[in-house]
Amino acid sequence: MADVNETINGLLSELRRGTIIIGVLSQLSEPQYGYSLVPILEEKGVAVDPGTLYPLLRRLEKQELLESTWDTNEARPRKYYVLSPFGREVYAGLRREWRKLVVSMEGIMEEG
Amino acid sequence: MEIIERYIYAVTQRLPEKMRADIKQELHGLILDMLEERESPGQASKENVESVLLELGHPNTLAAKYRGYERYLISPFLFDSYLTILKVVMFSIAIGMTVVFAIDTITSPNEILEHFIDYFANLIIAGAQGFGWVTIVFAMIDYRQQKDTLSSGDKNLKWKPSDLPHIPDVNKQIKMSEPITGIIFTVLFTVICLYSIELVGVWRFDGGDRTVIPFLNADVFQNYLPFVWILAALGILNQSVRIIVRQRTAKLLVFHIVISVVTTVLLCVMLADPAILNPDFIQQLQAAGVMSDIGKDYDTVISIWNGISDWLIIIIVFFALIDIISETYKWYRTKTTV
Repeated sequence: MADVNETINGLLSELRRGTIIIGVLSQLSEPQYGYSLVPILEEKGVAVDPGTLYPLLRRLEKQELLESTWDTNEARPRKYYVLSPFGREVYAGLRREWRKLVVSMEGIMEEG
Repeated sequence: MEIIERYIYAVTQRLPEKMRADIKQELHGLILDMLEERESPGQASKENVESVLLELGHPNTLAAKYRGYERYLISPFLFDSYLTILKVVMFSIAIGMTVVFAIDTITSPNEILEHFIDYFANLIIAGAQGFGWVTIVFAMIDYRQQKDTLSSGDKNLKWKPSDLPHIPDVNKQIKMSEPITGIIFTVLFTVICLYSIELVGVWRFDGGDRTVIPFLNADVFQNYLPFVWILAALGILNQSVRIIVRQRTAKLLVFHIVISVVTTVLLCVMLADPAILNPDFIQQLQAAGVMSDIGKDYDTVISIWNGISDWLIIIIVFFALIDIISETYKWYRTKTTV
């Protein structure tokens, strides 16, 4: 028989995948570079590994949710990402949808 | 830190050219940041570097995440059709080769061992060829499709529910047997052209002896082998597309007509070369005792033989026309019955 914890973990990582995007967008009203986001998110209980975060940031930029600038003043050049006006709007919409989702999921699980 | 550069190289090599420089710089910064967190700056140990790279994961996986899409030679979307056609082609190659082997064995039973070795070798060679061509054709179709979906920026292939094939309407659907028969005949034709063109001719059995007087000049025909390959590829491509689409559409009809015209033109070009015919056909007929030297029969045979190329071209064009008309009619009928 499959291990309960293992199965839960597998399903959970599937669930988390989408929430990471909201987590990232929520932290980018101020410019951040990729690696500075990792501890911020982790502290708030949204663990994400850099190997996932970096490509994700790039994808969100390609979707025009984020804007990026290279800061070359520091010891090593870093790419800073910040929400674009479009991204801000999308994030606000996502927040509303997420709240609705939580309510309906709560409702469903209460019934069960 | 050579190992870091090697890791970055391994990732960026798998990415499109224009993304590389940026990602390289970004990854570099990230790895140094991750290292810094593990130790005091300036003295990165080998173990720490390795643990950082392990955390980032396999370069292929990371590159795939950056790319945002998976790469396939033949995507899962087409894989079923690919397998079907591959099976048909392999099966028909096996049949074709077995037929040639059987004919060879019947005609010269003493050399059965030789025939068997040939059979085996040809089976492997033709099998590899068939496999290769089918795969190339499908890879090309897939490449086109991937390019289309990427340029439209839509991850899902565009489709309309109305595009869905209609079930059991016999008129509308292309019967699977049609393209499969087509492929089997194409493969048979190709196998005979490639391996046993000298067997196409007038057969004469005299007791246990057999003589074949070939229609074509095998040496000259050798020069036309590229034509045969093109004809085979076109034929298989045409039938493969029919198996994938499985429905008569205007596009498919146009495609079919274009391929038919090209095929017909190639065949006519081959036949229009007088050197392709066996120059000693008449003499060999006489030598084999199939016909007498003089008389009415002789004149008839001579006159037919002299005009044979023209006749064949007319017949081929005629059949191509019939095929095009019948395909057009079938398409037209499905359109009007909707």
